[in-house]
Amino acid sequence: MTRKKILGSHVKRLLSGVSDHGRKHLTEVETDLLQTNLLLEEAIEKLSRNFMAIHDAVNSQQATIKLLLDGGTPSDDERARLATLDAQVAEYVNAAITSMQFQDMTSQLIDRTLKRVTGLREFLGTLGAHGAEMVPESGNDEIVDLLGKVSMALAIQSLELRSVLRKAVSQKHLESGDIELF
Amino acid sequence: MAKTILAVDDSSSLRQMVAFSLKAAGYQVVEAVDGQDGLEKAKLQTVDLVLTDQNMPRMDGLQLIALLRELPTYQKVPILMLTTESSDEMKAKGRAAGANGWLVKPFDPQRLIEVVKKVIG
Repeated sequence: MTRKKILGSHVKRLLSGVSDHGRKHLTEVETDLLQTNLLLEEAIEKLSRNFMAIHDAVNSQQATIKLLLDGGTPSDDERARLATLDAQVAEYVNAAITSMQFQDMTSQLIDRTLKRVTGLREFLGTLGAHGAEMVPESGNDEIVDLLGKVSMALAIQSLELRSVLRKAVSQKHLESGDIELF
Repeated sequence: MAKTILAVDDSSSLRQMVAFSLKAAGYQVVEAVDGQDGLEKAKLQTVDLVLTDQNMPRMDGLQLIALLRELPTYQKVPILMLTTESSDEMKAKGRAAGANGWLVKPFDPQRLIEVVKKVIG
């Protein structure tokens, strides 16, 4: 290969490597943010619904509570209604507890996004630092050598970044998860 | 006497909800903020059940389980994972480390209590 072609080949590899790396990671950022948004929307919707339901259930018990405070005795129907409301409130509270776990999942997704963004910033920093070493008067051989070092440094950083970005949260809804006893 | 459960998770909101659910069912709950803290608390007091997350700083769930199983007092204590992880690969690792069950987050309090009752009564 001629020197010109070697230089061209290095430049091409570096540019496409940086572009691929950037695009892959930014696509993952987008995916994680969309997933975070889905979980947040569902959490707020479910928490609001259960809060209102608990509020209505508690309100509907007020008449009976007032009767008791006034020294009255609830009828059998009123007792049965209170028992039903009690069970309903327990269900709404359980549903709210399941929904409140959105914080744990979205926190993990956000943490992953932050690590990725930090990694990308460091990646671009490395590119910039090596670029600063290049002097306009450099010969082709020096440039080829530098491009080789940059590519190697970026490849290592890319691998290191991938190693800390395992996806542990696949949930897109706040339905209770599977249980398996071994 | 109420049975004691060690709940290990680096998310304070998650620990709060596990503790709320289990205490409402009559269990005592000891909380730990990560695997290292969980191991130290497990050594101070032998509990009836360990419920642990997987992804935590300092020491993850699998490491915690492996170390607990090395302790004579924790050979037979049931250990359940409560984690966002759901892959068969991770479940196999959990089982190999010594876990007795795998619960995928988010948990439903009623189902959690049913599983705990099934395991320790």
